[in-house]
Amino acid sequence: MISQTDDDIRLTEETDIPVIPVQPYHRPHVLQQVRGPLSPQLIELNDDTVIVGRSSEAQIRVPSSALSRTHMRIERYQGGYRAIDLDSSNGVYLNQIRINSAVLRDGDTIQLGNAVFIYHEGK
Amino acid sequence: MAFLVRFWGTRGSIPTPGRTTNRYGGNTSCVEVCIDEALFICDGGTGLRELGIDLMKRGSQSIVAHLLFSHMHWDHIQGFPFFVPAYIPSNTFYIYGTSPGDRRFHNLLSGQMRSDYFPVDFSELNADIRAVDLGNADRVIDGVRVRCMEQCHPGTSYAYSFEKGGRKVVYATDNEIDMTLPDAKAVQADLAAPRKIPDDLVAFVRDADLLIVDGQYTDEQYFPKHVGWGHPRATTAVDLAVQAGARQLAIYHHDPMQSDIQIDMKIAACRSRVQAFGSSLFVFAAREGIELRIDQ
Ligand SMILES: [Zn+2]
Ligand SMILES: [Zn+2]
Repeated sequence: MISQTDDDIRLTEETDIPVIPVQPYHRPHVLQQVRGPLSPQLIELNDDTVIVGRSSEAQIRVPSSALSRTHMRIERYQGGYRAIDLDSSNGVYLNQIRINSAVLRDGDTIQLGNAVFIYHEGK
Repeated sequence: MAFLVRFWGTRGSIPTPGRTTNRYGGNTSCVEVCIDEALFICDGGTGLRELGIDLMKRGSQSIVAHLLFSHMHWDHIQGFPFFVPAYIPSNTFYIYGTSPGDRRFHNLLSGQMRSDYFPVDFSELNADIRAVDLGNADRVIDGVRVRCMEQCHPGTSYAYSFEKGGRKVVYATDNEIDMTLPDAKAVQADLAAPRKIPDDLVAFVRDADLLIVDGQYTDEQYFPKHVGWGHPRATTAVDLAVQAGARQLAIYHHDPMQSDIQIDMKIAACRSRVQAFGSSLFVFAAREGIELRIDQ
């Protein structure tokens, strides 16, 4: 049998501490480039669509002849992002699988030519 | 030619939502095969609901699709009552039987919508839903050659192949290939040795660009506990793909007990086996939300 001492009873006192409103924590989705020209770098994904490629018009530019000018599009999808191959010559590989498109998940590896990115899901 | 395969549900037996299954997905069997204008839907597990939502977003005035079911176990039909395009009058769906005059799949699909199971009756679906059949298991549909083959599964199941322009995809789920091996005892004695796959299945899969196949169990899971449950070892699926000369192998119908990490380990075992055979086959785990181009 467990007996309560007077000390235990006194541990918590009733107070009128107000319930504090907390802003929901926001962390952006991130592409981490781990291989290839300009790596290493962290790129926050904030836009609805982002083009990755060799062209100077690409939002994420990878100066390499192994990439097509507009190689891949990343677009918002169901609260995260999905990747779409834009008919590139060398393809988009998701965790080694050559994909035409894919919904991205935390920790996915995306390879375009000699550039490798890791996708980190935000919240 | 455009030849695309999209995975909408890759889990076997029962949906498995949650953190540990996030990468490969928790929805049950559903694969979309798009070949030019032709749209085929393989199985209507819970992944079919998501496919329905996506089809609605594509903005077509009228959707025409051919539905091919491996069999009628729950994990292959449960998405159908939630398939929104079936409620739209301008759409047409063909539900295929596997032999002349076979309306079994159509009847069972409508049966799961009886009022004891579901609040909306099949007759209230406004789309034009027709029972058709694959004739003698070999038919050309919208310019695509579609064949089917009976498999080893409690109550039987069917594999389908889709061919056009020299490209071929095979969808073969819920098939306990291990039960059909002529030398099952020898396989158990030496798991590393090649497993002779029956000739008819090898011929059916022959030269597939993509083989989507049931690979529910790891070697450790399969014997002896799950023998006779209707699903093979993933490693046996490797032997099928290698012997048939397939180019890519998607291990499908993941066991509901497998986390993403355990699926990774299952695939690693398959890849070691491919390497030991000196084959160039590419093996990967089927995963929800990926789209592959077959005509590349
Ligand atoms: Zn199943
Ligand atoms: Zn089954």
